[in-house]
Amino acid sequence: MERKKWYTFGTREVVFAALGAALYGVLSYLTNMLALPAAGNLAFRPAVCIPMFFGVAFGPLVGFISGFLGNIIGDFLSGWGFWFWWDLGNGIMGLIPGFAYLFIKDFRSPRSLIIADVLSVLGVIVGMLLASLSEIFVSGIDFRTAIVGYFVPAALTNIINGIILVPILMIAYDAIVARTGR
Amino acid sequence: MLVSWRYRERNTFIQNLDPRARWIFMFATLFAAIQFWDLRFLLFFFALSLVYYLLARLAWQETRRVWVFVIVLVVVIIGINTVLTGRGGPMAVLRDTRHTVWEARWTVPVVGWVIRPNITVEKLVFAVAQITRMLTVALLFIPVAYTLNPNHYGVTFRRLGLPDKAAFSMDLAFRFVPTLARDFGITLDAQRARGYEVEKLSGGLIAQIRKMAPLIVPVTINAIVGAEDIVNAMDLRCFGLRPRTWLHELKYRPRDYALIVFSALILLASVFVRLRWGIGEFWVPDWVLRWFGY
Repeated sequence: MERKKWYTFGTREVVFAALGAALYGVLSYLTNMLALPAAGNLAFRPAVCIPMFFGVAFGPLVGFISGFLGNIIGDFLSGWGFWFWWDLGNGIMGLIPGFAYLFIKDFRSPRSLIIADVLSVLGVIVGMLLASLSEIFVSGIDFRTAIVGYFVPAALTNIINGIILVPILMIAYDAIVARTGR
Repeated sequence: MLVSWRYRERNTFIQNLDPRARWIFMFATLFAAIQFWDLRFLLFFFALSLVYYLLARLAWQETRRVWVFVIVLVVVIIGINTVLTGRGGPMAVLRDTRHTVWEARWTVPVVGWVIRPNITVEKLVFAVAQITRMLTVALLFIPVAYTLNPNHYGVTFRRLGLPDKAAFSMDLAFRFVPTLARDFGITLDAQRARGYEVEKLSGGLIAQIRKMAPLIVPVTINAIVGAEDIVNAMDLRCFGLRPRTWLHELKYRPRDYALIVFSALILLASVFVRLRWGIGEFWVPDWVLRWFGY
């Protein structure tokens, strides 16, 4: 069996990065439109599982592009404009779980699910921390506001979304892997 | 389910510029503006961004929702955070209490701690500077979604230096959007026919997230299965073996060169002013102090 490399970016990665980005953009736009009670004033975005899952399934570069470009697409569909550091933060949310790709052989095994979840949590923390801290020099807010006002609500909801939905997607994807042999 | 790009042809000065020149201008202005806290410099960048925004000729109806969000964010951050605490500001804003406009004294019951919230002239001026800076960034980037043609993203970023494959991935992503939105609509209808009511998701946050799975999983897995055919088709056509050509080609015109030179000058001048002359730190106008009786 061919050894997986994190930096591989061939035809397969080009297509799945594009697919992941489009899915993340569309799902975040459409699920934001649906009424979701009890989420308070938090940005409830179940679609954050997409870049994490695409990273886990197809590698870190695919995860990064899915998150980075997907956030741009979602913002463009909603008309929010372009927020580079938040796009980068979303890219990192896909990049870090993508390193699970190197260790995962069976998408159903508890070990794989735990690795994916741990790296997804790490990805959210690093990505959202970077995006939140960027507001210190972009908007001029202070460290505490960046953490309390931006990082905590964004990271908390993304972590919950990721640790629930990424394993569900992995188990569903396992059936495809078995069928296509890819 | 209808998903449409906010973009439409407007035949404006901004839309007729090369997208690469516009990205260069936006980033040059952003990196120039965020170096300053002096209101005089920030007002210059605000005016520049405002001219750029007005040249895009966006209707209020189409941008209203975004502006409401931006203004609420600015008011909350500025109102609660900056005016009362001065957070994010330099020491002159945080520590200087000589020019106090309002002060209160409140003792916390039981523990007896004394809290003295105050508003100073410095905090008020800093709040104005922060509002100006935040609105400058918003004015620069909000028009992107409305005025840049999604079909040109791939070639734009390729010509800005991104590798072929990454640029093509970007191009492909924008083409996938309408198909995936349609698939999402079909899946949503199919699940509703089975009794799934997304508008009435009950339970706590975790239960609600789990209940989103019947929507997200089929759309994602179907898309992956379909994409395998695209991979095979591209492999059969030897994708990636040679540099690719693009359907849309971009060409700089004299006004694009003028905008790029102008952007470079703004960025270089601001770096020079900040680093060489040390100008641009937080500044309180004398007339504001006099106005408050100091």
